[in-house]
Amino acid sequence: MNISVDSAYDKRDNEKRKLVNGLIYGFLIFLALIYILPLLWVVITSLKDDNVIMTSPWAMPEKLRFDNYSFAWTMGNLGKATLNSFIVCSITLLVSLIVGSMAAFAIARLRFKLSKLVLTYFMIGMMIPIHCVLIPLFIQFSSWKLTNSLVGLIIPYVTFSLPITIYIMVGFFEGIPNELFEAAVIDGCSVPRMFTVVALPMAKTGFMVTGLMSFISNWNELLLALVFISKEAFKTLPVSLTKFVGPYHTNYTQMFAGIVIAVIPTIIVYCIFANQIVEGLTAGAVKG
Amino acid sequence: MDKLLRKKSYIIAFLAPAFILFTVVLFVPICKAVYYSFCNYKTNYPIEFTGLKNYIKLFTNDETMKMAFKNSMFFMIFSCVTQLLFGLVLAALLTNIKKGRNVFKNIYYLPCVLSSAALGLLWMFVFTPTLGINKMMESLGWLENCADGPQWLFNTDGTIILPIIVISFVALWQYVGQSMMLYMAQISGISNDIYEAASIDGCSKKQAFFYITLPLIRPMVATAMSLNAIGSLKFFDLVYNMIPEGFLGNRAHVLATHLYEQAFKFNKLGYGCTIGVVLLIMCLIVTFLINKFVKVDSYDM
Repeated sequence: MNISVDSAYDKRDNEKRKLVNGLIYGFLIFLALIYILPLLWVVITSLKDDNVIMTSPWAMPEKLRFDNYSFAWTMGNLGKATLNSFIVCSITLLVSLIVGSMAAFAIARLRFKLSKLVLTYFMIGMMIPIHCVLIPLFIQFSSWKLTNSLVGLIIPYVTFSLPITIYIMVGFFEGIPNELFEAAVIDGCSVPRMFTVVALPMAKTGFMVTGLMSFISNWNELLLALVFISKEAFKTLPVSLTKFVGPYHTNYTQMFAGIVIAVIPTIIVYCIFANQIVEGLTAGAVKG
Repeated sequence: MDKLLRKKSYIIAFLAPAFILFTVVLFVPICKAVYYSFCNYKTNYPIEFTGLKNYIKLFTNDETMKMAFKNSMFFMIFSCVTQLLFGLVLAALLTNIKKGRNVFKNIYYLPCVLSSAALGLLWMFVFTPTLGINKMMESLGWLENCADGPQWLFNTDGTIILPIIVISFVALWQYVGQSMMLYMAQISGISNDIYEAASIDGCSKKQAFFYITLPLIRPMVATAMSLNAIGSLKFFDLVYNMIPEGFLGNRAHVLATHLYEQAFKFNKLGYGCTIGVVLLIMCLIVTFLINKFVKVDSYDM
């Protein structure tokens, strides 16, 4: 008898659990729609005719208009802007990885008394809002004729990518077993060779994580680029998008195409490397 | 080996590039910003040291600053509270379900990696009366005419105006994934033994959440909260891209847009630096307060 009572309880418990589970999934799916639908709306609208968009903005397009994209790409100057963004972000990525991992190697592996202090000096950079240095940096860079050039963007971007790069790479270099370096020394390895032959290949994951993060955050950076760049030829993607803001624009579909052009590269990168990105951003956030 | 690793020349060579960049691009400009903040410095005019004049003007005689300060404080409080609630709820739900955890996680996190400038434009269109939400309400029959519906981005009534509230919800939408991710990382680090022991003692899932999970992730709450607070004080992209410049007068300003406008539209570089320094000090104070009142030493497990 006991058994039957127990199983009745189990059954009721089971039903309750199923209901709760259903509610949870319903809520999660509803939320996921709030995340996906706006993005989907932009993609769909960007393929519509310009005169349809005002009368029925929520309908599906009757004819796919891919020329909105070519229009935004050429007339909206987004092609040039995408190229600029790509150049700036790639060079920044490369330089910050090299410079950052060198500093991280010195902090983690070379032996000197001030290594803790040097690390703290670099970590302070994570806490400083870019707004605070924006104006002096702008004055300095204009006197060096570095505003309105891509180099003038790359230098600050590299610097702002350094703290997180150094922080993560120090972790990786410290994790390499000491025996490897000892063996290298016995084989007659110099310090620079130790860095390139032993340390770097062991820290590939670290490069992946920090590289992705620096690329994404620089790809999206607006304020500094907005201040430093005023010539159309050097504008990056986020800056080019700002000229669409305001009620006086005429060609809506072109702007929707512009939004899609700006977010698609990040979405693709995110889909491929979601796990590394999440790991890196979480690690960076915890420290900062 | 020890001797090799202590060689000064290598240490200097490895550290120099990063150190020089840091000093030139971060350290020196900060010192300069503090100096400029005490100066009357306009583009094409000589620098003139005026002491505390900028600060006095900023705090007593600047209507826009009042608005910007109020709006920034609203953003900060709103984001701290809502991100904590939603982030925790999402993290708790996602760590409890079995199927599709990664899919949901990745979807909610997606906007964090996208450009705020582009997303700002997107939401501007969604809240444009003739185009987005109002149009949808019209076609559903909830509104007579889409243009008569709520003016999401242009209504200037009340102390906290509607556009600011709309933007704060958009920011919540964009960044709640980050809080969720941080909490999830912390929750999945809690040993399963504790939950097992608790369930043997007759602890329900709800109790387990309130008496085990919550206390154990409190250090992370402090981290996530200070991130949110600093992030919302620094807020620029969404405001700049959702409200056309000068469209709502000074009512929709936040600290960062105020700084940008003063320094680069009105050429008051010194005054802009004053705002920047105040912003930096606010960030430091907020981080300090949150760490003091929310953070506890992590438990030994």
